[in-house]
Amino acid sequence: MARIVIDRLSVAYSGMRVIDGLSLEIEEGSFFTLLGPSGCGKTTLLRTIAGFNPVQSGTLRFGDRDVTNLPAHQRDIGMVFQDYALFPDKTVFDNVAYGLRARRVDAATIRRKVGEALERVGLSAFPERHPVALSGGQRQRVALARALVIQPQVLLMDEPLSNLDAKLRVQVRETIADLQREAGITTVFVTHDQEEALALSDRIGLMRQGSLEQVGPPEDIYRRPVSAYVADFVGAANTVPVDLEAPLAAGMPTRVNLGGIPVAALAPEALGAGSATLVARPEDIALIRGHAAGTLPGIVRRKQYLGGKTAYGIEVAQRQLAVDLHGEDHSGFAIGDPVGVVLDSAKTLVVRS
Amino acid sequence: MTAQVRSVWFWLALAVLVILIVTLLYPLINVLASSLSSARADGRSGWSVLLAEPKYLRAVANTVTLGAIVTLAATAIGVPLAYVAARYDFPGKALIAILPLTTLVVPEVIAAQTWLMMLGNNGLLTRTLAGWGIGLPSFYGWPGLITVMTFIYYTYVYIGTLAAIRGFDAQLEEAARGLGTSPAVSRLKVMLPVVLPAILASALLVFTLVVGNFAVATILGHKVELLSVLTYQTFISEVSTDPVMQSTLASVSIGLVALVLFLQRWVVSRGRYEIVLGRGAKPVAMRGLKSFGLALAAALVVIISLLPLATVVAGAFTVSRGPVMRWGEWTTAHLWRVFVNAPDPIINTLLYAGTATLISVFFATLVSYLIVKKRTILTPAIDYLTALPLALSGTVIGIGLVMSFNSGWMAITGTGAIIVLAYVIRRLPFGIRNASSTLYNIPNSIEEASISLGVPPLRSFAKVVLPLMIPSVAAAGVLVWTTTVAELSASVVVYSGGRETMPIQIFRLIDSGLMAQASAYGFVLVLMIVIPILLATTVFRLDIFGSR
Repeated sequence: MARIVIDRLSVAYSGMRVIDGLSLEIEEGSFFTLLGPSGCGKTTLLRTIAGFNPVQSGTLRFGDRDVTNLPAHQRDIGMVFQDYALFPDKTVFDNVAYGLRARRVDAATIRRKVGEALERVGLSAFPERHPVALSGGQRQRVALARALVIQPQVLLMDEPLSNLDAKLRVQVRETIADLQREAGITTVFVTHDQEEALALSDRIGLMRQGSLEQVGPPEDIYRRPVSAYVADFVGAANTVPVDLEAPLAAGMPTRVNLGGIPVAALAPEALGAGSATLVARPEDIALIRGHAAGTLPGIVRRKQYLGGKTAYGIEVAQRQLAVDLHGEDHSGFAIGDPVGVVLDSAKTLVVRS
Repeated sequence: MTAQVRSVWFWLALAVLVILIVTLLYPLINVLASSLSSARADGRSGWSVLLAEPKYLRAVANTVTLGAIVTLAATAIGVPLAYVAARYDFPGKALIAILPLTTLVVPEVIAAQTWLMMLGNNGLLTRTLAGWGIGLPSFYGWPGLITVMTFIYYTYVYIGTLAAIRGFDAQLEEAARGLGTSPAVSRLKVMLPVVLPAILASALLVFTLVVGNFAVATILGHKVELLSVLTYQTFISEVSTDPVMQSTLASVSIGLVALVLFLQRWVVSRGRYEIVLGRGAKPVAMRGLKSFGLALAAALVVIISLLPLATVVAGAFTVSRGPVMRWGEWTTAHLWRVFVNAPDPIINTLLYAGTATLISVFFATLVSYLIVKKRTILTPAIDYLTALPLALSGTVIGIGLVMSFNSGWMAITGTGAIIVLAYVIRRLPFGIRNASSTLYNIPNSIEEASISLGVPPLRSFAKVVLPLMIPSVAAAGVLVWTTTVAELSASVVVYSGGRETMPIQIFRLIDSGLMAQASAYGFVLVLMIVIPILLATTVFRLDIFGSR
């Protein structure tokens, strides 16, 4: 178990800078997620931590150890891959025992540890099977056991759930969360799925074009996005471009102009004057029947009944806002109804575009 | 860059590159450079002689003509056969499946020999028909060249076309039919454009093989001048060895093949559609007269293809007086002679081909791994160099090696080593293609998983990747072995007295008209090819033809 400290790290692929001067600290024993769209550099960063990509400049430390130029096999990591990467010619037992054998652990200990590891992932029933005979979820559990049994300093996971179907994804996700909590191993998890990131992480690093756009606990990322990019990527958000007349300090309430009507909003980070983005999540918007004073006048254009909630599309000042209503009678508005739109002033944000 | 230089793979790649440059590029450059030098006794350069003397120009024209005719004929047999095999079921269809085997099992030199035993001046059919008063035209020259080469090379077109038709998504055809075109028209309009590149590519391959063909060309060419024969004759001619002329002729055939391969690449790259690998159409069962006709036509092709095999087996046990075969009278004397009195060719073949196969398999495994998995700045150069032997006929490779390693620090001309080297170089692209085909299916993550678990890179390769490669490497080994024991055109150039291999011995016996003796060696040679294939496919269950 070790803290991971990344300092002004740059990584290049055939002349192209994929990671550009990135700094990050990951607490010992914590679950850290690198989140972002494909091509943002999250997998490159993970593979650099693993030692599969050479570092161009900067340093990388596990605790007190400088591992910047250490070959991957000496880093003491556990890694879980998107395609499981089980050795197809070896049994489940031999797969899990592989790392222990490389460490010259005696046979009796190997038997005990592999047995425990397989039990922990709920697969003690078939140690003699080959990977082909397992389902996708089972394979990924074997891969998890294989990575954890060597008690690595750092556990690295590269989109481990994305090859699984929706139901399995949730199950294996829970296994991962339980195991990580039990073992307390510093974990870096890469995903493009915001729900996974929110559900699993102690902290999330949202990446954009090789650098970190925002780092923080899931609530911060969701509730206080620093930019339109973050707000848009994590959860659903209505984003409306606005003009700021004066700079704003962090946490300062302000009013912005939306279709001629002033709307109250907060700036989670300091902002300069000029163009910015108003962010309002669909569930943070309320509707009132008819056009009332102090509300934005709108008309219901779209309606989807989704059981626990109803998703509306409301036309306000020539643009459509997504509004989710929960609670009793959430499906009470009809297409064509005139409505008053009310934005929650504590949850409506102004962020950089 | 620095990281690349640090890695062990970079140094391995560099070592491979150096080996390729010394054993392959250097001899090739020697041949090309020597054709440009004007060191001939009469002071004329090779190219001016080539243009001045009609026999050389005739040889070029004959070679191109023969290539074109054989390519057309092989396509005319191979494509319909592939279509019928892919789309119809009829009695005896299973026999067609063994066709790809025949070219592998019957070396070219034996094919040429057995056709002669049937249709040559003393041939069984020629004599029988003559007895009935039917005079056949001489089989030597154009008739023999075209017939034998066509029946050797049509399998290449057949295999290539069959794979393309099987891979063609039948739903496209159904879609076309759904849009209102008739079955025949949909097939023509939808399937043909998709399959055409494969047909053209295999047809062009046949052309290059005809240009490089030595065995059939020499045995049956007679008075028809051909490039490969002339090159060889200039090389062995004891009256006036003419290194400039032999290099010039070799350069012409290199140029000819290079041109065609370039054309083939262009065709293949143009044909690169996004082909959705769909389910191919299910073969339709044929009944009645039509199926009878199909079966008959297919059976004819199969019988002609298997004729050499039957002939060589029969010939090995048939009594002979000099060149005259006494068909119907049986003896084991020839085999006795082969095994007891003159077993050297068998021993030589086992020794040289065995060594070459081991080296090839090791080298091909390493090189394909470097090309597929460990790309460095050296990879493109290795990629090109290892494909180069495809453009070189065996004769050219042999001449290059003899010229380059005659003297100096690697003077191996006249030793067994040069035969082994010629074998390895000729079969290199073959071995690499077979070894690399599985590598593409082994994900990189497996190796990385092993490294992440604490095993260093080279050991990770040995523990995790190598075991997965073994089936395909073994299959590649069997294929390299079967094609190496049958190799003639390069080894006949580089060998020296006492180092005759079986194909060389057969070639010499045919030259002396001793067909029964040749058949006996041929029979043993075929066994040396068939037994490993049977063992590999039945005992070890290797998929030898999967990657072919």
